Amino acid sequence: MTVKIFRWRAIGPLLVLLVIVAILWVLFADTIARRETEKVGTEVLGARVEIEDLHLDLANGDVTIRGLTIASPHEPFRNLLQADELVADLDVIPLLEKKIVIDRIAANGLRFGTPRTTDGRVAATGSGRHAGIATRVMAEARQWASQFDVPVLQLATGEIDIDSLDPRNLTTIKVAEALAARADSSRQAWQSGFDTLRLGPTLDSARETLERLQRARATDLAALNEARRAIDQLKRARDRVTALERRVTTGVSTLRAGIGSLDSARRRDYAFARSLVKLPSLDAPEIGAALFAPGAITPFERVYYWLNLARRYMPPGLRPRAGAGTPRVRHPGADVRFPRERNLPGFLLRSAELSFLLDPTAPEPRRYAGRLTGLTSDPALYGRPTLAVASGPALAAGVLLDHVGAIAEDTAGITVQSVRLPPLRLPALPLTLDPGDATLRLGFALRGDEIDARWSVRSNRISWARDSAAFGTGQINDLIWRTVSGISQLEIEARVTGTIANPTLQVRSNLDQAIAARLRAVLGEDVAAAERRLRAAVDRVVDAQVGPVRSRVTELQAEATARIARERAPIDELQRGLEQRLRQLLPGIPLP
Amino acid sequence: MLTIVKLIQSLIKALHSEGTPGQLAAGIALGSIIGLTPLVNLHNAVVFALLVLLNVSFAGGLLGWALCVPIGFLLDPLFHWLGRTLLLDVPFLTPLWTSLYNMPVAPLTNFNNTVVLGSLAFALLAFIPLFLAARWAVARYRATIGERVRQSRWYRAVTASKLYNVYRLFRPQ
Repeated sequence: MTVKIFRWRAIGPLLVLLVIVAILWVLFADTIARRETEKVGTEVLGARVEIEDLHLDLANGDVTIRGLTIASPHEPFRNLLQADELVADLDVIPLLEKKIVIDRIAANGLRFGTPRTTDGRVAATGSGRHAGIATRVMAEARQWASQFDVPVLQLATGEIDIDSLDPRNLTTIKVAEALAARADSSRQAWQSGFDTLRLGPTLDSARETLERLQRARATDLAALNEARRAIDQLKRARDRVTALERRVTTGVSTLRAGIGSLDSARRRDYAFARSLVKLPSLDAPEIGAALFAPGAITPFERVYYWLNLARRYMPPGLRPRAGAGTPRVRHPGADVRFPRERNLPGFLLRSAELSFLLDPTAPEPRRYAGRLTGLTSDPALYGRPTLAVASGPALAAGVLLDHVGAIAEDTAGITVQSVRLPPLRLPALPLTLDPGDATLRLGFALRGDEIDARWSVRSNRISWARDSAAFGTGQINDLIWRTVSGISQLEIEARVTGTIANPTLQVRSNLDQAIAARLRAVLGEDVAAAERRLRAAVDRVVDAQVGPVRSRVTELQAEATARIARERAPIDELQRGLEQRLRQLLPGIPLP
Repeated sequence: MLTIVKLIQSLIKALHSEGTPGQLAAGIALGSIIGLTPLVNLHNAVVFALLVLLNVSFAGGLLGWALCVPIGFLLDPLFHWLGRTLLLDVPFLTPLWTSLYNMPVAPLTNFNNTVVLGSLAFALLAFIPLFLAARWAVARYRATIGERVRQSRWYRAVTASKLYNVYRLFRPQ
């Protein structure tokens, strides 16, 4: 028995199966293509992509999309764009190589920033199964934006902080302690001086001599000579007392000078206490950064997200590289691309003509036109940078993504005049700034990992509103309100420079100087009050030490002076007595 | 539960089909390719066509597919590693992949996916050993307990179902 290799009669059912597949394709190709486009678009952009209708006409290479909505990846209830209709002229042959080459897209009725009822974010929330690269890029963008150091300004309270006063840091205390020690040593030295005078024997001898002299006659020469010697001894004793008096006087002067140094030390302590007063930052650049930096970072973060996303999907070079595989029930694996020179890229949009509206809710929305060329997944194969331009009566925008070389260079710039910006809630202040019709400029240059980005807003008719609930009755709040409510012009500029890993943010505005100057004027009184409180604190601590020292010095001076007088008085009295008796006994003869 | 019943049905029908052990083993080996590799891929359409057009056991193919699907899930990390190694870490293969990637139709097979290539390479390598093992196992089964199973009541119940009629259309001749 021979076994046949082919089962010829199964050809019929197989053909029937193929016909059924073909019919299903005809019936459901548009639906499948729509769902796949939504799925891939959502995965790529990190935000919901919704399509009302998609029609494939492969025979003519046409794809028509109606009712395209792309949600914002950053804002929950806002669309990035909506389009009434997109008509794509598709190159069919590259589809056999699984490559999508679109010669031209005509997009009509584009609208930006329209509201939506559901949260369309995917990358930001991590929701959805198809948010691989976009989710990672979003996380990177947030990480990048979070590294900026935004100063916190307590303008709403204007509180002056005072560090605690540590007595160990006060100079006066040290000086007083030194003075007290010096007074003690002076007291000991003087006491020693008084002890070494030894006036007792001299005075006793002089007193006995005076008694003998009272009984002596003018011819008693021995008594007269003894009286003269006693007077000489008394004079020498007085000289010793006088010498001690000079030492005491000098010592007292030194202690008095020490008392004076206590006063200068106290002045130094006042200065030290003043340095402990911590004022809220009144520097204009810091005020600008604190007021606007949180909001100023947001545009940079968003542009960074888009450019980084473009770098992931449009990498430079021709080397094989692995990307995330298509999600499925089984392990998705990784898709490896093998670009080759002079071959078509995996995706290429040669040209897109854009027609769109800005401010679509305005009574007469203005229509604009734009053009996008060279959007491709393999810039090195295409050999030209991606370029997008848009222009209109008050709009100029351009994007250049040059990933052809080894180092990617991305540049984006936009200027929009008379654009209605949303009210800006100022952090740290219960105030809302409505820029009104403003001119918005944004420039972003990313060369390799070097960044130079600038963002500015200028408006001549701004208005202010205050949050009554949060405003309170603080003096600073009223001051800020009075300051800013009179300002009708606004100029804000934010700039980021440096590298991706180490960027620097600078923010300045015309409000900075005004607020800083007014704060400085008003807070000056509070600063003086704080200084007074600190001086009182210094006095409390210092007086407890200085008072006793001052008393001790005064007491020591008085004691020493009295002691000197006490020591000198008997000498003078005895000398006078001896001299008076000698004059009575020897009238007309001069005394030695 | 229904899946398990159908699996048993396929197994019983295949083992007792009129085909030779070689036809049954070839069906199982072809079905294993579909089961081991991710289902929705162009190469599986080719394998399915072979399964239908070649005079092999279609039920064997279903059996091979059903048995290998869970194995495929389990071995996906291995397939990913194998595919990645072949695609990126074997330099002399890079020109081949580059040519395939840039020629018509070939990219539609998703050969450049690590799991697809890894699982397909694994399935192709396992094809001959699996064919030989299955042929030996079927022959042993039929020589030992096959006839007793055929005479059992539950076998008749299985073969009496409507699915069996569909199966007869593709049974080996």
